[in-house]
Amino acid sequence: MTAAPSTSRFSPNSPGVRLLKRILRNRSAQFGGFLLLALIFFSYAAPLFTDKDPNKTAPSVALKAPSLEFPMGTDGIGRDNFARFLYGGRLSLRIGLIGITIGALIGITLGLVSGYFGGWFDSLISWFTDVLMAFPDILLALAIIAILGPGITNAMLAIGIAFVPSFMRLTRSSVLALREMTYVEAARALGSSDARILVKHILPNSMRTLLVLITLGIGSSILAGAALNFLGLGAEPPTPEWGAMLNAGMKFVRQAWWLTVFPGLGIFLAVLSINLIGDAVSDAVAGTTIVPTEK
Amino acid sequence: MLNYLIRRVFTSILVLFGVSILVFSVIHLVPGDVTMAILGRQKVTEERVAELREQLGLNDPLYVQYGRYLGNALRGDLGVSIRNSLPVSKSIADQMPSTFALAMSALILALSIGSALGLLAALRHGTWLDTLVMGLSVSGLSLPTFWMGLLLILLFSVKLKLFPSISNGSTFADLFLPALTLGLPEAAVVARMMRASMLDVLNKEYIIVARAKGLPARLVVLKHALRNALIPVVTFVGLQMAYLLGGATIVETMFARQGIGRLAVQSIYSRDYPMVQGVVLVTAAIYVIINTFTDITYVFLNPKIRLK
Repeated sequence: MTAAPSTSRFSPNSPGVRLLKRILRNRSAQFGGFLLLALIFFSYAAPLFTDKDPNKTAPSVALKAPSLEFPMGTDGIGRDNFARFLYGGRLSLRIGLIGITIGALIGITLGLVSGYFGGWFDSLISWFTDVLMAFPDILLALAIIAILGPGITNAMLAIGIAFVPSFMRLTRSSVLALREMTYVEAARALGSSDARILVKHILPNSMRTLLVLITLGIGSSILAGAALNFLGLGAEPPTPEWGAMLNAGMKFVRQAWWLTVFPGLGIFLAVLSINLIGDAVSDAVAGTTIVPTEK
Repeated sequence: MLNYLIRRVFTSILVLFGVSILVFSVIHLVPGDVTMAILGRQKVTEERVAELREQLGLNDPLYVQYGRYLGNALRGDLGVSIRNSLPVSKSIADQMPSTFALAMSALILALSIGSALGLLAALRHGTWLDTLVMGLSVSGLSLPTFWMGLLLILLFSVKLKLFPSISNGSTFADLFLPALTLGLPEAAVVARMMRASMLDVLNKEYIIVARAKGLPARLVVLKHALRNALIPVVTFVGLQMAYLLGGATIVETMFARQGIGRLAVQSIYSRDYPMVQGVVLVTAAIYVIINTFTDITYVFLNPKIRLK
């Protein structure tokens, strides 16, 4: 066993661990975390809870109300709504997570580089972000879908790109403050390369502020993914997905309330759980922020 | 002040310039040949492809195409729809009043419901009523618009049979459900802001003075506090136009309402690129202009920012 030096990021007293402890002590984070884990468990362990195939049609049992056999009823072509609800969660949650990851990776990289180096590159990127921000978010995603064509992968990309401006702006403003810090100057004096300074010194210190945007962003990203699917621009039928299920259920709103209530409940609970965690993260970070905000 | 004004307008023009480049690029960023994407897999003659390329002006060099696009757009000509051969600007102008009516009603609903609840919460600060309003507001923020719309349809039009679930007009009954769907999440935000702003104002010295003078509580709240508390709320609401225009795509699709949001979604389905470009360009331009205007008004009202 190699003894980890006490400065290791994983030592019990490191800032990251302390932040995590603060978050875990928060009531609303506990509730949100529990809810989120439950949703993930139910959707990924779906075969444990139902033996039905989410895509198997059975017109003879179409539009049946919830019962013991069909806990959430059946849809217009007799598919089990409960099985579709469980399996549909996988895709809805994944779109949210992948969407925000794409947005964060691109946005943070651009923000780091343009904030640190400044100059014409910074002006160009800032102008480009301003331009992207001129589009109402869902409209930007729609325009990207118009270019790439509908589909799950394209929906994730569209959501990711729509998030780039917020990540880029936040990263840039914290880099602008951090690059003047003495420890950055010290690192530079010691001969560290720009890349090393950015990754080892500036990025970890920007992480606190970024963490809030990342958590809350997952919620918005799930919501945006469901919206695109609801508009019919995401998952191809018969793939189960909460937003797409709502779209299909809308036709039967007069006969079958269960087709609109349950998929929407899934989206609502997923977003609510993440918003609760996000509020806790933002409280925890607010108490310990060391990054001065931009003037 | 004049200096700021010029700088702010100049930035907006630069942004609008970028928006026009981005919107212009839509048709060129489509993977593969755009005419194939439009015509689909149907059997087409070489002539049809050539004709479409000519119609879209794809045979000229890029800078010529962009120059023409910008020049035409500035004169209000946004091209011709591929699907119904009507001028894009005419289709948008036809659909705009419906979206405008929806957005305005949603704004009025959001302001009245939101500020009433926020006011109530602030005046009963720390009581169960305050907790209830704040709880409703957090849930309101996590509710997907499209789900809430469906729940409202279930309640008001299926169960209570009060309002139609498909609505195209601009009467109160037609607008009520769509506007409520679009406005409620906004009302949640307004309620939070109103509460915070009111609590802030109620602790100001001039309120204490007004109370000490023996003015009736109602007069103090309505005449002294409310007016000042409303300022930040109203400014914020002006900026929410973007949200309303974006949300219109979903609400209009759901209620099968006319409007530019639904026009955008349908044009994406049918790959009517000139129409998509037109709607996106117009919406973004409206948004940039409103933002610029709000910024300038804000600076005009608040000398602190002017001096920075």
